[in-house]
Amino acid sequence: MSEAEPFLVWQCRTCGYIYEEAQGDPLEGLAPGTRWRDVPDDWICPSCGTAKGEFDMVEI
Amino acid sequence: MIPQDIADAIVDPKAYADQARIDGAFQWIRENAPFGQAQPQGFDPFWVVSKHADILEVERQSDLFHNGDRPTTLMPIEMEKKVRATMGGSPHLVRSLVQMDNPDHMNYRRLTQGWFLPQNLRSREARIREIAKTFVDKMASLGDRCDFARDISFLYPLHVIMEVMGVPEADEPRMLKLTQELFGSADPELNRNARAVADLDEGLKAIQEVVGDFVAYFNAVTEDRRANPRDDLASVIANGKIDGAPLGFFEAMSYYIIAATAGHDTTSNTTAGGMWALAENPDQFAKLKADPSLIPGFLEESIRWVTPVKHFMRSATADAEVRGRKVAKGDWLMLSYPSGNRDADAFARPFDFDITRAPNKHVAFGYGAHVCLGQHLGRLEMRALWEELLPRLEFVELDGEARLMQSNFVCGPKSVPIRYKMH
Repeated sequence: MSEAEPFLVWQCRTCGYIYEEAQGDPLEGLAPGTRWRDVPDDWICPSCGTAKGEFDMVEI
Repeated sequence: MIPQDIADAIVDPKAYADQARIDGAFQWIRENAPFGQAQPQGFDPFWVVSKHADILEVERQSDLFHNGDRPTTLMPIEMEKKVRATMGGSPHLVRSLVQMDNPDHMNYRRLTQGWFLPQNLRSREARIREIAKTFVDKMASLGDRCDFARDISFLYPLHVIMEVMGVPEADEPRMLKLTQELFGSADPELNRNARAVADLDEGLKAIQEVVGDFVAYFNAVTEDRRANPRDDLASVIANGKIDGAPLGFFEAMSYYIIAATAGHDTTSNTTAGGMWALAENPDQFAKLKADPSLIPGFLEESIRWVTPVKHFMRSATADAEVRGRKVAKGDWLMLSYPSGNRDADAFARPFDFDITRAPNKHVAFGYGAHVCLGQHLGRLEMRALWEELLPRLEFVELDGEARLMQSNFVCGPKSVPIRYKMH
């Protein structure tokens, strides 16, 4: 994925938590600009504990 | 084993109306038996999950710790026997998302999940803000004194959820009364018989009557929405399908009941508790007035502070281990959300009301598959109200004794008398 590609937004299907790649989630140790593919596979939704694999990519 | 007096306190509805007593009981548990067993008089023994981290751990494993196999809320042995006898062996008087496990839970939750997500609620924000403004105007019209709980916070989220569900405004007082009779079933000022509950039979009969009234009301709503679907939540439930078939009657009625009760009472409690906290903490009020960007932080702290859902129960589907203790298959566990939200390992100065607290990862909405479906709606309602109210609220202080409801399940302030100045 090149740097020119747009940042995407992901949403937890269980609770609605939004992960914006552009913003990251610094409180969860994810710096701004962290692509979803670079988020560790064992990462879980900070709001409800849902596993990374259960997230959907959504248009906001 | 948790000492008898503390075990008895954590199931006693009166204890939850006495903040110091209930805080003291759970503080003792966190410090001395953070995952210990309690056997209050009249109850089966259960594990008390008092620590924030353990609540997350248990809730995350929703297949290992079930909702539906045993009572989902605290229930004395004799009452459970009577419920099972009248409900065909089930320990539940209703079967909502709260009482379900997968696959039913996922299927029923998905029916309305999209409706409650922020992107869908965005289209409702303007209307919710309009409703919020009418309540702020009402507060201004009341002069310089009101009971913020009874005059504003019980009524505003009620109006929002009933409009969302499609319940006519004229029926809102009835819905509020039924909600308070259900969640306030142990409170002599709020329950159906308006007196202290004499015995289990009387208490159970009153709750069954309330559920019966809800069912009668929403059965008529279902018939109407099947014939004339509208853009409301009742139409989603009435016309929803699971695996191609309409919802079961009992499940549909339970869906309405949880939306028509927990859909406003929790937000009402949190809003009232937020005002109570601001009235008691003028430094926090001044800080919030000076910087409206702190409103989201104030909301999260209000939610943590009040934690309107006091517990849910789970039962183990297999032998398990929590905090190094062996939990046997079938064991009952009490998830104490107020305790998790006062856990010093998760929150610095947990007994301070601090609108700048960050992070503030409270467990008031629960966690895992059963995390609160309406959390985004609740936050939206509260944000709209406070954004409209705070710029006009110059001063607030308590004007007498604020009081809490007697309940060990869903509760918060039942009276918050305040003196204030608005423009």
